[in-house]
Formats: sequence, C-alpha cells, structure tokens
Amino acid sequence: MATPIRTVRLLTAALLLAALSAHAADPLDGELEIRSAYAVPSHGVIMLSVRVGYPRSDLLSATLKDGVTLSFDLECTVSRHRRLWFDAEAVSLLRHSELSYQVVTDRYLVRNVDSGTQETFQTLEAALERVGTVDEWPIAVDSQLERDEEWQISLRAGVRRGHMPDALRALVFWSDAWHRTSDWYTWTLVR
Amino acid sequence: MDPRALKRWGLRALISLGCGAGVWALLLLLQVTENSAEFNRRMPWILLLNTCAVVALGVLLTRKLWQLYRDFQNHVPGSRLTARTVGMFGTLVVVPLLILYLFALEFLNYGIDSWFRVEFKHGLNDALVLSRSALQLRLREQARRTEEFARTIADLSGPDLAVRLDAERRAAQAADVTVYDSSGRALSVSNGANSPLPGRPPAGLLLQIASGRSFVSLETPVDGHATIRTAAPLPKAQGVPPGRFVLTDYDVPQELSRLADAVQNAYSNYGDMSATRRPLKVSFMLTLTLVLLITMLAAVYGAVWSAQRLTRPVKDLIAGTRAVGKGDLETRLPLPSRDEMGFLVHSFNDMTKRLRRSREEAATSRHAVERERERLAVILSRLSSGVLVVDAQLQLRSANQSAGAILGRDLAGMVGQSLVLGTGATTLLAGFVAELRARLDSGEREWREQLSLKDEASARVLLWACTPLPDVGDAARLVIVFDDVTALLNAQRSAAWGEVARRLAHEIKNPLTPIQLSAEQMRRQLLRGLDTQHARILERATHTIVQQVDAIKQMVDAFSEYARAPEVQLARFSLNQLAAEMVELYRLQDTGIDIVIELDPQLPEIEADRGRVRQILANLLSNAIEALSGVGGAAITVRTRWVSTAPVAQAEITISDNGPGFPEDILGRAFEPYVTSKARGTGLGLAIVQRIVEEHGGRISAENLVAGGARVRVLLPATADKRTESRRERA
Repeated sequence: MATPIRTVRLLTAALLLAALSAHAADPLDGELEIRSAYAVPSHGVIMLSVRVGYPRSDLLSATLKDGVTLSFDLECTVSRHRRLWFDAEAVSLLRHSELSYQVVTDRYLVRNVDSGTQETFQTLEAALERVGTVDEWPIAVDSQLERDEEWQISLRAGVRRGHMPDALRALVFWSDAWHRTSDWYTWTLVR
Repeated sequence: MDPRALKRWGLRALISLGCGAGVWALLLLLQVTENSAEFNRRMPWILLLNTCAVVALGVLLTRKLWQLYRDFQNHVPGSRLTARTVGMFGTLVVVPLLILYLFALEFLNYGIDSWFRVEFKHGLNDALVLSRSALQLRLREQARRTEEFARTIADLSGPDLAVRLDAERRAAQAADVTVYDSSGRALSVSNGANSPLPGRPPAGLLLQIASGRSFVSLETPVDGHATIRTAAPLPKAQGVPPGRFVLTDYDVPQELSRLADAVQNAYSNYGDMSATRRPLKVSFMLTLTLVLLITMLAAVYGAVWSAQRLTRPVKDLIAGTRAVGKGDLETRLPLPSRDEMGFLVHSFNDMTKRLRRSREEAATSRHAVERERERLAVILSRLSSGVLVVDAQLQLRSANQSAGAILGRDLAGMVGQSLVLGTGATTLLAGFVAELRARLDSGEREWREQLSLKDEASARVLLWACTPLPDVGDAARLVIVFDDVTALLNAQRSAAWGEVARRLAHEIKNPLTPIQLSAEQMRRQLLRGLDTQHARILERATHTIVQQVDAIKQMVDAFSEYARAPEVQLARFSLNQLAAEMVELYRLQDTGIDIVIELDPQLPEIEADRGRVRQILANLLSNAIEALSGVGGAAITVRTRWVSTAPVAQAEITISDNGPGFPEDILGRAFEPYVTSKARGTGLGLAIVQRIVEEHGGRISAENLVAGGARVRVLLPATADKRTESRRERA
C-alpha cells in the first residue's frame, strides 16, 4: 500500500489533471457542426434531412481502435416563440447512434440505437459519413403544428466518448472532456 | 421583533436551508444516476443545491470561528476554554475523517488500477489474436473453396449452373451462392428457403473483382449472426459472358461467432473502461473530497456548536465570578441542566445569595456604626471641651471643633498628619504639643492636670486629661480631653476681687468722711490760733489729708463700681452710632492721636445696656490714649463688625493702637484688677470692662499685634436670648 504522501501527491496530480484536462489534446477536438438541414412536409409528415460534420482525426481513430465507443446524439426540437414567456415546444426528439471499431473483423460498426440497425464500414471516413447523414427523419405530424403559427426547428448534434455507465456519468459531471455538442442550428419551418 | 431574535431565526433558517439543500441534492443524485436524460436535466439543480449546502455550511462555520477568534482576542471569559474544547473536538473529528479519507483514496486508486492490470490487457489481446486467427483461417478456407468452385463452373450457364450452385450451397452449407455478371447483376442464385434474394453487391466488392482478385470479408448483419462473404471471378470460357463472378455467403459457425462476439464485447468494454479510467479516478476523488469537505464542515461546525454549548455554563460561571469579584452580588446564573454542571451553578447561586445576605448584614452594621459615629461626632462638636485622638508619634487621628478653637488652629485639616508639623514656634498649639510630647517621652500615658499656655497674643489655662484608648490595630492611641478654664479662673478671680472691693468700700469708705470732716474741722479751729509758719504747716497737712482722702474715696468708688451687683438695663440701640459718638468725643479732646473708625454697615441694632457699653468704649479708648502718650504718629482704630457666622450672632468691637502693646508679663493677666503697666491708675479699667462684657454674656480678649501695638477685641451677643445661649455655650 502506498504511503499517505503518495496519496496526497496523487490527489494533487488528479486535481491538476482535472483542471488542465480541458486544455489537453482530445480525440473529440475538431469541427462539430450542422452543415445543412431542411424539413419538408410529405404526406402529412414533416421529414427532416440533416448533414452533420463530426470531428475526424488520427487520435479519434486510435481511440476507436482502443475499443472506445462513440455515441452520437442529434437533438431536434420544434417550438413556437411566445412573448414574455417560455417558448412552446411541440416536439423534442433525440436520435441516438453509436460508432465502434470491430477489432475482430477490422471494420467500423455504426449502430442506430433507436432502431437497432447496424452497418459496417471499411473506413472511419465512411462510417462517420454515414453517422452524419440523416435522410427523411419524420419529426412531426403536420397536425401537431398549427398552421397559423410560426414554428422553428432547432438542431443540435453531440458526440460522447466511451460507453460510460450512467452512474459514472454522474460522477464526471464536472468535466466536458468526454462529450462535445454543436451550436443550435435553428430555422423557420416553411410549409 | 427583537434584533437578537431575528438574528437567531435567520441562523436557524440558514441551517435548515443548508441541511435541506444537502438532503435534496443527495436524493436527486440517487434518482438521476439511474437515468442519464434525467441527470442532464437536473444537473444544474444538483450543482446549485450542493453549492447552497457548502456555502451555508461555510458561512455558518466561518461565522462561528470568527466569533470564537474575536472572543479569544478580546479575552472574553470562557473563550480560551471554548477554543481548547473546539480544538479537541475538531481534532477528534477531523483526524479520523482525514485518515479515513486518505485510506479511501488509496483503496479507490488501487481498486481502479486493478481493473486495468497488464495481465488482463495481455489476456484480452491474446484472445483477440486467437479469434482473429480462427476467423482468418475460416475466411481463407471459404475463400479458397469459393475460388475452386469458381473454376469448376467457369463454362456453365443456365440450368446447369443453377444445379451446380444449389449443389455447392448444400455441400458447403452456405447461406446463398450467387453468380453475377460484371455489372453486379445476379445471373443465377441458390439460397435458403427463408433467405431473401441477394441485392447488388457493394461497390468495393465489384471493384476488387473487376481487378481480377478474389474478395473475402466478415459481415455483421442486423441479427448479429456473422457471415463470411467470399467472391471469386470465374475464369473466361467459351459461350459465356466474361467478367462473371461467384459470391458466396457462409454462416460463421455459431460457436465461433459467439466467441468472436464475446471477444469483441470484452475488447470494447475494456476500451470504454480504459477511456474513463482517468476521469473516473479524478471524479471519485473529487466526489470523495466534496463529501469529505461537507462532512468535515458539518462536523467542525457541530464541534464548535457543541463546545460552545458545553462551555456556556462555564462561561456564565466565569462571568458571574468576575461580577461577584466586582461586588455585583445580584448575579444569578441560569441553571443549564440537572447534571454536575447544574449542581455547580446552583452552588454558585447559593453562594452569591449567602454573600448578598452577609453584605446586607454588614452594611446594616456599618450604617449603625456610622450613625453612632455621626452622633458621637455631633456630641464632640457640641462639646465645649477639646477632644484629640493621637497616636504615640503624635499623629492626629481625630479632633473636634472645640479643640481647634481652644488651641487657635483648624485641626480638621491636620487629621492624619503629625501635630508637630503643624505647630509654629509661639502658638498655643506649639506649647500644647511640646507639653504633650514631654509627657509621652517621660512615659506618662494617663494624667489629669492644669496646663498654662501662652502665645504672643494671649494666655490660656487648660484643664487637660489624657487616657490611652484600647489598642486599635498596631498603634496605641491616646485620647486627650481639655477645657479652656481661663474664663472660669478669671471669673473666680474676678469674684474674689469683687468681694474684696465690696469689703474695702464698706470698711474704708465709711471712715473716710469723718476723717475728711475732722481734718477740715481741725483746720478751721486751729488755723486762726497759729502763727504763719505753723498755719502753713497745718494748712498743707490738712490739705494733704483731704486730698488723699478724696483720692482714697475715688479709689474706693472705683472698687465700689467694680464690686457692685450687676444691674443691666437692656435696650436696643445702634452700636455703630454709639461708637461714632464716643470717637467723636475723644477726637474733640485734641489728644494729637489720629482716631480712625471703621463701622460695619451690616451691623444691626443690638440689645444691651447702652451706658455700660459706652463705659467699655470709654475705658478702652482711655487706655489706648494713655498707652500712646509720647508715641509719634499715634493712631487708634475703632472697628465694628457683625459676626453672623458664629453659632451665636455677635457684634464685635475692636480697638487697636500702634503703641508699645501689652508688656509680656501682664498680657495674660491684663483683665485682672490691679494689673497695669501705668504708673498711675487703679488698674481696674480693663477689669471693669471685662466684668461688663461678661455681664452681657460676651467675650473679651487682648493681644499684641505683630506689626506693633495692641488690640482688644470685644464680642457682645446681639440679643438677650442669644446672650443666654452664649453663656451656656461658654459654660
């Protein structure tokens, strides 16, 4: 067992590490943005198509090859602005998918957590392209959104590192090194 | 509301807020750890509540510690005991917490590190290599089989090809076997009953086949059952289109697939855990530290609170003891409990109660003593006798007014001082002290005798007695009581002289008239029968007889005047007016003496015998004029004054001159009959004056002035009743 001095040193180092972790190189560093998005009504359903650019780097590839799973969240809200009060939110959706490296087969696996479908890709680029491509995502029924109101659609993409249990996630609430989120991408729905 | 009560309620609210925030934060944390979405939503609240709890605890503890420090600096009673108790409690709480914290950190660190041992990593890698090898072997076998099969069907087409494909699928236990043309269009298919028709092959596969190379890959479809996909180009043959290739999907054996999945999952889990290793350790440490801080803050605050609660009775006792030390015996301490401390506080209250009773009794006794002392002081002050208390070193301890009046010195201001220091060379007090010292030096401590004292102006005869007081402390004290019996002796002497005068007047004056008549008869009868010489002798002899008889008559009249019974005719008159008339009368005699008169306008009319008072003034003025004969620049000053401050209001008449003054040897006896410094005179002038003054209840004194000359001072009571009081006082 280590001496108490060693423990104190370790604790100090951990605190310093925690303080400096935001400035160290991270696999999630890089461009994370909503590149394009549009929504169109189709047979009474609002269909959303999105292109998201996720960070790509050798460090990210190495992290995946170390067995780390990346989780991708795409948040979508449809809301109506109200004066002097909170916005009225008609729809709030979350699209969740995961990207992992299949070390046995040497392929990248993209899994849609919501539907359970999965695809494998030879390269990381192809896998990320697949994750960042969302076509015809039904986000609302036309009747949900009153026609005489102006509705705004907001999108935000996020990526999380690691397949962390919820209990552990609660413990690392102080740090944002394990996840990134893009800015909100908002536009007015045209019908 | 009372500000103190408001403050107390505020503190309670703060404590409740801190506790409530802490409990709520814990409940929220328990809930959200099971639901990540809920966690994201409630995380700000958890942070806010935790912060509130820490801030509330920090504020409370800081306030407590600051109050403790301030009390310590200001030496507030009990603050040191409280600080020591807080230190002890704090140490008892903090040290185990710190030890527990350090051990927990160490175990935590060791436990997390143990998850990522090198052996585990190596084992995982070995399993991975093994899985890969097994799969690669399977892949190569399937690829080779597909290549061989491709060569056997190179020249087939149509139904023959379909039969061979079906035979091969069955033989190789493949999922499906399909022959495509170069564009990826299926030409012939053999698949299971439930398998869907194969779609267009992926572009990568087509490209690889187009380059003439075989293709093999491990596919992970939706259901999780892995398949091996192999493709091989068909050799060119006659009668068939070029560029065809065969694609075969083999099901990976279930056992191999399961093992490969297990390895994959283990590797992924290990990777995920490895990625969270560092933040996990830091998070656990920070969480543990946060919990330790909250616990320690709460524990130290509890220690301070408990220490203050424990030491409050002691502080009360200290404050009470100090209050009692300052004389506040009304202090009552609140009973904290029924334990030993309560018994101690009860004993303290009982003690102060007894002390208060004792002090009240002592105060009552002291008041009684003070009253007795005041009565004694009044008695002493009213005594005509002088009373002194001195110690063996002649240090004055007490003196009454009469003592100062008799000895001619204010003795009240000399209490606590030595009598020797306050005496002049020629004062009455000096003589008194000298006699006292002589007696004490000779060892006498008790006597009762007559003492004659004399100063430059007057002489006194005292009757003094001394007796030692019981020992008081470490010094023996003497009480000396003395009376001024000068007036009494003078009165006795005067009475004796009066009797002598009365007898003289009676015995001598009666024969004088026959003597004078006989002498005149003898002169008338014999003068005619004698010759001139004898006639002249007879004439001279009878003249001498008659003249001397007249002189004797005059002397006897004077004695008669001195000896007559007092018959005072009282009337109210202005002494100022009488004095002015007398001065004017003497001024008219052209004596060459400057007679100055100073009258007090405040002097009211007095009640006295105007004729007798005139005789006083006449005698005194005559004496002064006679004393100034032959003196150059002679002056007499007659002064009246109203003495209303004395116990009895009196009119004062002072006649002073700048003559030679009284001879030293007769100064003390100037008012006795036949005491005179003049060659001629009966020596009864001042004696008569004194007798008249005493008849009026007044006082007379004679003294020599330091600047030269003599002064006679007469004090007459203003009214008859005052005269009675004056006599009583003198008695």
